[in-house]
Amino acid sequence: MNASQSGMPLEISEAGPETAAIYCHGLSKHYGDIQALDGLTLSVPYGSIFGFLGRNGAGKTTTMRLLAGLALPTAGKAWVAGMETTSAKRQARLRFGYLPQDPAFYKWMSAREYLDYVGQIQGLGRTDRESQIDRLLALSDLQEAAMRRIGGFSGGMLQRLGIAQALMGDPPVLLLDEPTSSLDPAGRYEVLDMISQLRGRVTVFLSSHILTDIERVCDTVAILHKGRLVLVSGKDELLEQHPVNAVELEFEPINGGSDNETLAKFSAALQEKPWVASVKRENARLRVMVQDVSRGKQELLPLVMAHDLSLNRYEWVRPSLEDIFLQLST
Amino acid sequence: MLILAYSLSIFLMIALPLALAVALRRVSRPVWLLFSVGSLTFILSQAVHLPVNDWLADIGFLPKGSVGELPLWRTAITLGLTAGLCEELARTAGYALIQWLKPLWMRMQDSLMLGLGHGGIESMIFGGVLTAAGFSSLLSMREVDLNTLSLNPEQLAALKLQLELFTASPLNAILPLIERLLALSIQLVFSLLIWRAFARGRLSRDWYYIPLAILYHAAVDAGAVWTAQNSSSNYALRMLILALSLLPGWAWGFWLVRREWEPRATLQGKLERQIEDSSIWAELSVFWVALIKELRQLWRTRRLLVMGAVFLVFGMGSPLIAKFTPLALSSIEGIEMFAELIPEPTAGDAMGQYIKNLSQFGFILAVLMAMGVVVGEKERGVAAMIISKPMPRWAFVSSKLAAQAVMYLVGFLLAGAGAYYYTLFLFEPLAFGDYALLNGLMFLWLIVFVALSVLGSTLAGSTVGAGGIGLGLSVALLLAGALPGFGALLPGGLMGWASQLGQRAAGVAASLPGSASVSGEVMANGGAAASALVIILMSLVLAIGIFEQQEL
Repeated sequence: MNASQSGMPLEISEAGPETAAIYCHGLSKHYGDIQALDGLTLSVPYGSIFGFLGRNGAGKTTTMRLLAGLALPTAGKAWVAGMETTSAKRQARLRFGYLPQDPAFYKWMSAREYLDYVGQIQGLGRTDRESQIDRLLALSDLQEAAMRRIGGFSGGMLQRLGIAQALMGDPPVLLLDEPTSSLDPAGRYEVLDMISQLRGRVTVFLSSHILTDIERVCDTVAILHKGRLVLVSGKDELLEQHPVNAVELEFEPINGGSDNETLAKFSAALQEKPWVASVKRENARLRVMVQDVSRGKQELLPLVMAHDLSLNRYEWVRPSLEDIFLQLST
Repeated sequence: MLILAYSLSIFLMIALPLALAVALRRVSRPVWLLFSVGSLTFILSQAVHLPVNDWLADIGFLPKGSVGELPLWRTAITLGLTAGLCEELARTAGYALIQWLKPLWMRMQDSLMLGLGHGGIESMIFGGVLTAAGFSSLLSMREVDLNTLSLNPEQLAALKLQLELFTASPLNAILPLIERLLALSIQLVFSLLIWRAFARGRLSRDWYYIPLAILYHAAVDAGAVWTAQNSSSNYALRMLILALSLLPGWAWGFWLVRREWEPRATLQGKLERQIEDSSIWAELSVFWVALIKELRQLWRTRRLLVMGAVFLVFGMGSPLIAKFTPLALSSIEGIEMFAELIPEPTAGDAMGQYIKNLSQFGFILAVLMAMGVVVGEKERGVAAMIISKPMPRWAFVSSKLAAQAVMYLVGFLLAGAGAYYYTLFLFEPLAFGDYALLNGLMFLWLIVFVALSVLGSTLAGSTVGAGGIGLGLSVALLLAGALPGFGALLPGGLMGWASQLGQRAAGVAASLPGSASVSGEVMANGGAAASALVIILMSLVLAIGIFEQQEL
């Protein structure tokens, strides 16, 4: 599916390599017959926290690796902070910090030693390195663990160290590939909090398939599907552009008034209605995406009554990012 | 002075093509892999060229013994044509392969890199290795009465002439270097000629550049053969005539390079160029940072400690084994009667044991310790983290080989000190110079296998695969050392030289059974040392070239 097929807004900025934090033009990557990325043209404005959404296998990691110069494009080029990164030039790698999906470190080093090593590779002097390391260890809340072997770090600590190493040398752009996907809720909270603290100081290009994370920290969103860009928009604009076409129903809790079987029957009955796009159930709560809002408003409540369900809450709402994402990527 | 001059000349014949490649890369960034492709086209051309010349000699078209057997004009033209056909057709095949697989690598600058690879390996082998082999042989023969050698009068005269030229002045060491530089320059022109046939994507129209390259190559080589026979004693005259024959090629090559060079027209290009031009020292400093990190890793992961301990044990143990093995055997019940048959152990036995121990265990350790250095970091994802920083890929690979070399250097220092002390304690003092050189040669020999293992580690997708490739390449090289003719010029020849040095260091006459010694003198094998250096450097260049193309 491409943007025109989806009928959704596809806003590609007029900005070019010189004025955008990240600029891709016709970026493509084939692995034999498999087209991992198909002509990605994208502009990421400076200062944004840019969410790059897509299902597993959509081409997010391929895009990240191409931007970081770790893979060679089949076609197209990419620039980060005005310098082409797809040409494998050494200088271009000072323009961004990169965190892969599963960051790996030299386990025998301490966090401080690793950051110092990265600073030395970047050519920073001792004083600059020391001050940067202290600041980044504080930002990543790793001061106490600074001298411990990295081999003993938890997943959350590794991700925070990963972001810290990506920030060494004050690059204008951060490329974060699924930074929260392998973390528990506490670890996710810590990492998202750290990313939020970067707002306005650095451009963050964040890929994820976890929509709540993107919704929480990003101000601009792009959706990639099967290697193709299907949407780029400001998060708030995107949500505003989508009409109020979702209804949330909250019933009496199961075993506290509603029974599971009746709710299941009601959910099944809803899904058969032609004006319903999708139904998502979570315990005694239903979220219904509606294709024909006026028919929905006419027929929904009578259907609730027909199933003899006790309704606690009934509210028409805007679709969430997840709703839009599912709509565009199916 | 003579040794220094020739050593420098040999080193430059090996290192200058690489230095030129580094300079070319800084100007226009052709990939390192093209250097290796160029080298491969030369090696493949020789794999056909040499047997073809042998066959022509067998059927009487080329002289088998003395050049005077056949008309010189015919010999010169035949040798020129076989060289031109074999080399230029191999080069053509190389270009066809690149155009098919990597059409973006068909810039004019890329053809210069291919030419440097092709001419570079020629300079290393025909210049560096063969000059080193000849130099070391002549060095050994300076004190020998040549009339005692079993040579025919023509061979004897040629040898005397070579010796005269060799000993006349250290400045003569520059002559083979000049010859190789001239040859390298014309290889660039040949490469440009073949490139010109492919460059416009209209081979059907521009094909004539290929026969032109063959004919020009044949003419240059034939001229070189002719002048070599007619002015063999006047090296300078030969160089002058060769240079004159190259003039048209140089003129055309210069004109083409000026016309085709892709300029960096944009402002951004100019700015990037400024950054790149000033960054050679920055890149070297990153290499140094990476090397220090590798050494710290070897220390912190205890590998350096273990390696040092192993080498120290084998070093100290060698004289002990030599001394006490006969005693141990004689104390075994039932075989006491054989004790008298075992000769009294000497320092020479200690040296033999030392070389045997370190070569066997060193070889195994070299493969095992180096096999995971690159692929291990690729597998774990550390390489991607580091390469996303401004770490040049060449520095990433080179620092690992250099750190391994430092580790074995420490190993040899410990082993050498241990063996020296116990030999002194149990037997007698060793001649220090010979003993130090022996250790240096064994170190060089071992680094060849480390380099091959690092190459395997870059090629493979897993540590096990890397070990297999490293071991396979190493065994193949060891087996190649048994080949008649050029086998002695391979790194295996270093061990024969080291063995002779070991015996002489121990005060035993250096005449090992089957070894190439002359009148009890140690027969230096400079060719083996130069070939070891060439293999180490070319393995590194290939590993870097491959790593540059790998996606992480």
